[in-house]
Amino acid sequence: MGNFRKTVIGLNLKNHLKAVIVALVAFVALFLPYMNLEEGKRSVVGVALELLGGSSASKAYVFIYGTIVFTFVAAVMAVVSVFKTNEKVMKCWQVLQALATIFSGLLMFSTRTIAKASGLSNNFLNKDLSFGYWILFVGSLVTLVLVMSVTKTNVGYIALTVLGVIWLFPILWIVLTAFRAEQGYYVGYFIPKGFTFDNFINLFTNNSVLPFARWWCNTLIVALCSCVINTLIVLMTSYVLSRTRFAGRKAFMNILMIIGMFPGFMSLIAVYNILKGIGLNQSLLALIVVGAAGAAMGYHVSKGFFDTIPKAIDEAAIIDGASRLQIFLHVTLPLSKSIIVYTVLGSFLGAWSDYIFPSMLFGDKQSSYTVAVGLYWLTDFKRIDTYYTQFAAGAVIVALPIVILFVWLQRFYVEGLSGSVKG
Amino acid sequence: MKVINKNRNLITTFTKGDIFSRLSYIVMGLANIRNGQVIKGLIFLMIEVAYFMFMLLTGRHNLHMMRTLGENTQGMAYNEALGIYEVTKGDNSMLILLAGVVTLVITGLFIALWLFSIYSGERARQTRELGKRPASFLEDVKSLANENVHFLFLSVPVIGLSTFTVMPLIYMILMAFTNYDQDHQPPGNLFTWVGIKNFFTLLSTGDRLANTFWPVLGWTLIWGFAATFSCYFGGMILAMIINSKGIKYKKFWRTVFVITMAIPAFISLRVVATMLGERGILNVLLQQWGFTASALPFLSNVTWARVSVIVVNFWIGVPVTMLMVSGILMNIPAELYESAKIDGAGPVLAFLKITFPYMWFVTTPYLISNLIGNFNNFNVIYFLTAGQPLTLDYFKGAGKTDLLVTWLYKLTKDSNDYNLAATIGIIIFVISATFTLISFSRSAAMKNEEGFQ
Repeated sequence: MGNFRKTVIGLNLKNHLKAVIVALVAFVALFLPYMNLEEGKRSVVGVALELLGGSSASKAYVFIYGTIVFTFVAAVMAVVSVFKTNEKVMKCWQVLQALATIFSGLLMFSTRTIAKASGLSNNFLNKDLSFGYWILFVGSLVTLVLVMSVTKTNVGYIALTVLGVIWLFPILWIVLTAFRAEQGYYVGYFIPKGFTFDNFINLFTNNSVLPFARWWCNTLIVALCSCVINTLIVLMTSYVLSRTRFAGRKAFMNILMIIGMFPGFMSLIAVYNILKGIGLNQSLLALIVVGAAGAAMGYHVSKGFFDTIPKAIDEAAIIDGASRLQIFLHVTLPLSKSIIVYTVLGSFLGAWSDYIFPSMLFGDKQSSYTVAVGLYWLTDFKRIDTYYTQFAAGAVIVALPIVILFVWLQRFYVEGLSGSVKG
Repeated sequence: MKVINKNRNLITTFTKGDIFSRLSYIVMGLANIRNGQVIKGLIFLMIEVAYFMFMLLTGRHNLHMMRTLGENTQGMAYNEALGIYEVTKGDNSMLILLAGVVTLVITGLFIALWLFSIYSGERARQTRELGKRPASFLEDVKSLANENVHFLFLSVPVIGLSTFTVMPLIYMILMAFTNYDQDHQPPGNLFTWVGIKNFFTLLSTGDRLANTFWPVLGWTLIWGFAATFSCYFGGMILAMIINSKGIKYKKFWRTVFVITMAIPAFISLRVVATMLGERGILNVLLQQWGFTASALPFLSNVTWARVSVIVVNFWIGVPVTMLMVSGILMNIPAELYESAKIDGAGPVLAFLKITFPYMWFVTTPYLISNLIGNFNNFNVIYFLTAGQPLTLDYFKGAGKTDLLVTWLYKLTKDSNDYNLAATIGIIIFVISATFTLISFSRSAAMKNEEGFQ
C-alpha cells in the first residue's frame, strides 16, 4: 500500500489510513447487533431485510435504509480513495460520510418508531440499542472527523451544525405552532397536520376577549417614546460625565453606582404610590416617565465609547470658538453613530420587553397591557389550552420586528458591547 | 497676580469672607446681591423663603408624624343622626412615611442648594475683589450651553432619579425597619418602627423565615456562579469555533445564534417553559424518540428544575458572551499564536496559555457585573418556573428555584409583606456591593479612566 506514503496537493494524508480503517469498521457494524429485543439481538441489515419482506410501512423506515446505503457507499469510497487518492474523491467521500453520520444519528431517534411500526417491539427504548449500533454511529462520526482533517476542512462545522439545530429548535417549534391549524397546548407531534393563518387573524379580530392589537399599539407607543427620550438622556449624561470635569462628578457617578446595586423593582410599590399622588397611575404615560427617570443609570457603555474619542478634537473646536453644546451636537454625535444605534436599540428593546413594572402598574386593567404582560397572561395555566396557538402567533409578531432589527444592526451592537468591556 | 481661590470650603469661606458672605449663611443670596448678581441672589432668597414656608406649613408636621407613623387606628363609630356605624378616618402610616420621605428629600435638595449659594456668593465676592465684574444673570444662563453644560444636561436625569429612584429607595429602606406586613396594612391598620427586628428574624436560625432565607440565598449564589461561568466558557468556545480559520460564512453562523438573543426574553422563556411542561413538546418527543418511557419532571422536580433553569439560561446567555468575546478575540495579536505554534504548542496549550489568560484579564470586570446581574436575574427564573416547585418547608409563596429577587417580588406583589421585601432588598444590596468592591480592587480599567483620552 504505497499510496499512503505519497503526498497530494491540498490534502493532509496523515489520517487517511485511520479513516479508511474506521469506515470499514463502521460498515462491519451494520451486521453486528443493533437492537436488544426479548427474542434476541438483531443487526441493522437483519431488521432492514425483515422490513423489506414485511407488509407494514412507515416513513421512519427511510432512516434504516438510508443508514445502510450511505454507510455502504461511504465504505466503498474509502476503498476507492486508497487507489485513487485525489481531492475530488476525498471531497466526495466526505459528503457521503456526512450523510452516513446524519442518517445513523437519526436512526437513534427513529428506532422506537421503526420497532413499533414493524411489530418487532412495542416498548422499545434507546437503552435497548446494542453495541453494534454504537460502533456504527461513533465509527461514522470518527471517520467523518478524520476525512475532514484529510481534506483540511474545519471540524468546527460539525459542532456548529449540532449546536445550531439545538439553538433553533425552540424557535422552529413556536413558528410551527403559530401556523398550526389544530388548537390546543398538547399535541403528540412536532410538525402540524394542517397549516393556517387563522391564529394571526384571530389575534387582531377577536378584540373583546383578547385585545392584542391594543396591546401591540400600547407597546409600540411606549417603546418609541422611551427610545427617543431615553437615548437623549443617556447620551447627554454620558457626554457630560465623559467630556467635562466638574465638582461632584465623581460623587454623582458613585451615587448612581450605589443606587444601581439595589434591586430595581424593590421600590416599585413606592413609585406606584408617587404616581398615584400625581395622578398618573394605570396610564401609559407613567411607563414612559418612569422609564425616562431611570434612563441615566445606563450611561456606562456610551461613556466608555465617548472616552475613546480623542480630547484633542474637543480642544480644537474650543479654540475655534465652539461652545460645549455645539461640540456635543456637531462634533461628538456625528462621530458616535454606532453608540447611538446601540443606545436606541437597547432602550427600544428594554421598553418593548419590560414585564415587571407594567404588570404591577396595570393589574387587571387589560386594555392597558403591553405585549409582555399580555402574552404572559395568555400562558397562564387556566388559558394555555385555549390560547396556545394564538400565544405562539403573538410571540412571532412581537419577536419578528426585533429580530430583523437586531440582525440588521448586529454590527453596532457588537461594537457597543466590546466598547463596554474596554471600558 | 491674585486669582480666584477655588479651594475654599465651608469654614474658610466663612472666616475669609466679609460680613455679607457671613450673613449669607443665614440669608441665602446676600453675598450675590452685594457683589452685583442681584437676580441670582434674589432667586436664592426666594428659594429659601419657599422652603421655610413649606416647612412651616406641612413639612414640620410630616417630620413629626414620622416619629410614630400615626397613632389613630381607623375605627367604627356610631353616628346618632343617621343611626348607622361609620368608618372614622384613622392615620395612614404608609402615606405618613411617604410624606416624611418627600420632606427629607426636599430638605436634602435645599441643603445642596444652600451650599451652592455659598460657593456662588464667595466666587462673586472674589471676582469683585480682583476688580472684575461678576457674571451677569444673562451670562450665567448662556454658560449653561458652555462651561456649565453639566447643569443643563444633568438636570433632567437628576430630577428624574431623585423623584422616581432615590425617593422610593429611601422609602423602601426605611420600610425595612417597620412592621409593614400582611397584618399591618393601611388604611385599616397602622404600622410602626420595629428597629432591626426584621433583619434579626431573617438572619437568625430556627425561625421559618430564616429557614427559607438561607436556602434561597444558597441557591442564589449557586445559580449566580453556575449561570455566569457556564455562559462565559460556552460563549468563549463558541466564539473561538466561529472565528477559527477555515469556517466560512461566519456571519451566517453568528446570526443563527444571535436570533435567540434578539427575541425578547419574556417570549423565548415562556415558549421554553411551555415546551418543558409535563405534556410539553419536549416530553412528547423524548417519549416518541424512545429516550424515556414516561414524562420527565423538567420543571416539577427540585433538582431537575434547578438544572433546567441553568441549561435554559445557557441557551439564552451564550450568544451574548459569544458576541462580546468575538470582538476581543480579534484583538489578540496573531504573532503570539504563530510563535506558540513554532514552539510546538497545540491548540489546547495555546488556549490555556494565550487566549484564556488574555480574556480573563480583559473581561474580569464584565464577569463580575455579569455575576451580580445573575444574582438578580429576575427574568429567567420568573418566566421559566416562577420559583416553582413550591415546598412546604418554605415561608409562604417561596419555591425551590426562587432567587432572592423573585422572592422579594412575590413578597411585594402577592403577600404584601413589604417589610420583609425591603429587608431582602437591603441584603441583596450588601451582596452586590461586596462583589463590586472586589471588582474595583481588581479592575485596572477603572483606575485608568483617563487612559484613552
